Amino acid sequence: MLKPILILCLGNEIVSDDGFGVEIARRLTDVGNIPESVEVVFAPIAGFALLDLLAGRAKVLIVDTIRTGNAAPGTLHKFAAGVLTPSKNLTTSHQISLPTALEFGRQLGLDMPDDIDVIAVEAEDLETVSEQLTPSVQAAVDQAIRFVWDWISRNATEEITHAN
Amino acid sequence: MKSIVIDPITRLEGHGKIHLFIKDDGELANCYFQVPELRGFEAFCVGRPVEELCRITTRICGVCPDAHHMASAKAIDAVFGAEIPSAAHKLRNLLYNGFYASDHTAHFYVLAGPDFICGPDAPPGERNILGVIAKVGLDAGKKVIAQRANGQRVIEIIGGKKVHPVTALPGGMSKRISKEEQEELIKIGENMVEFAKFSIQIVNDVVLANEEYVDMILSDTYAHKTYNIGLVDENNKVNFYDGKVRVTDPDGKEHCKYEPKDYLEYLAEHVEPYSYLKYPYLKKVGWKGFVDGVDSGVFKATPLSRLNVSDGMATPLAQAEYERFYETLAGDSSGKTPVHGTLATHWARVVELVYSCEAVLELAKDDEITSDHIFDPPKGIVGEGVGVVEAPRGNLTHHYKTDENGIVTEANLIVGTTNNNAAISMSIKRAAEGLIKKGTEITQGTLNRIEMAFRAYDPCFGCATHSLAGEMPLEVIVHDAESGEVIQTAQQNC
Repeated sequence: MLKPILILCLGNEIVSDDGFGVEIARRLTDVGNIPESVEVVFAPIAGFALLDLLAGRAKVLIVDTIRTGNAAPGTLHKFAAGVLTPSKNLTTSHQISLPTALEFGRQLGLDMPDDIDVIAVEAEDLETVSEQLTPSVQAAVDQAIRFVWDWISRNATEEITHAN
Repeated sequence: MKSIVIDPITRLEGHGKIHLFIKDDGELANCYFQVPELRGFEAFCVGRPVEELCRITTRICGVCPDAHHMASAKAIDAVFGAEIPSAAHKLRNLLYNGFYASDHTAHFYVLAGPDFICGPDAPPGERNILGVIAKVGLDAGKKVIAQRANGQRVIEIIGGKKVHPVTALPGGMSKRISKEEQEELIKIGENMVEFAKFSIQIVNDVVLANEEYVDMILSDTYAHKTYNIGLVDENNKVNFYDGKVRVTDPDGKEHCKYEPKDYLEYLAEHVEPYSYLKYPYLKKVGWKGFVDGVDSGVFKATPLSRLNVSDGMATPLAQAEYERFYETLAGDSSGKTPVHGTLATHWARVVELVYSCEAVLELAKDDEITSDHIFDPPKGIVGEGVGVVEAPRGNLTHHYKTDENGIVTEANLIVGTTNNNAAISMSIKRAAEGLIKKGTEITQGTLNRIEMAFRAYDPCFGCATHSLAGEMPLEVIVHDAESGEVIQTAQQNC
């Protein structure tokens, strides 16, 4: 049975700060006590492949890395996926964006989640092959974990026993 | 001189850029194409047990992890001097064709489709997969999704995981296939062949029925007469997983055919100061710059290249499409006259899509895939190995050296986009030359037509990471090079 609430941690564990998502997923699953209605997934994917994970969910929190250039590395950006607009221009097959995938899924009649929230950390290094986060991004992990637990407690259908 | 920069900026800084240098009289002086590379991959590999690399290298590319898994597995087999059992060979081949069936589908419908189905001059807001669905209907969209899911399921059954397979190991495969799984694979294969027929129909109805699009494919704007390289089987038929590398010249004559392990005898790499990415060329012909022709060592390694170096396809529907492709575009169904139009790459991709679907069905029906004999333990260590497969976007080489304990001491990769680096630059230049003249106003349509030239190659931009927003914003700035003054800017997705 597909769990209605998804914590979708995106990224790449061997590209420095892009490993933020996998670090959050690891911390969440190591601690345990994830409510029955919630699934935590780490996925090094994007685009079309997201459709498979998102379809049929009620609420989704995406944890990812971002580079806006407007904030210090380690800054946590929190926003609703709705603020992103579908891609107007596809240049390579990498370029199937989250909002495009969502809209595509809806048009195909798939049951796409209405609520998708995003927490993304401002990255410092997304070019070096390494399993280490940079110190500023590493320092944001605890705060991000607190945000995720808070999000879970607001959105899970059952009582939360985790005290984090 | 004016300088136009088409700058795709995702969250990855230093991403792919196109630089167009325009003379005062409006003529194009030169063109540079830059892509970023991840730093430190080799250093990351050194010191690790070599058998780990076929799982690590799947992280290099978010689009073609399966290609890296296979090239890596073959290189690791060679490091251990391992021969894999016949059943393991068939399983890898089946997985790989399932991956192709999925990947080529995504490319043709999502990436190429908007240009041909919505038209290259359609507003950007309509020129995407949503615009394609609006034109061809929801049923087509559902077929595309089902085909992609079928490809993923093939990978999951044989590779043990969706998207990132884990089952290839030195000496064979680690996961057997049950009879029930074989039955499921046969059903998937049957559905894929139906989808292949549907795709042939789409090519007929949408591309070939429109004279303007056929003219665009045939036009000089998108043509390059270079060498081509690709893997072929013992009958010189296209093969994605195994075989020898065949190189043909711009007239279609065989230049050489070599064992993948000997690649360094045939390929060399040119370096330009403005690009981290090197420019591979044919060693025996030599680097003569970014030029066409039999005297220039520039080559292409694309779906179109694979068709050009081959004598045909190994399955019946794909062979019929191959003949129709060459009859339509070269006036000779034999394939002996090569096709050079860059945009023909999209149709070539459909020919390969048809082959991959047929190959999935053929291999799924082979009872040997359920054999228990899928692994022969390696007996020793050679210490060096090369693995080559055809990634969807071009020839892919993994080359490892290890110490006597199998610990990596050197790792070298040549990926599809690197192989095509020179040709991509040349295609962009050719497209820009045909489109930008003195006084030309750079419109969205102009930008898109230039982009189409490199979109046909589906280049990977530092592809280890995905992008949250996923778009590739483009900023085009026209400078007067002498004064530095900005004359015109055009933006997409910024």
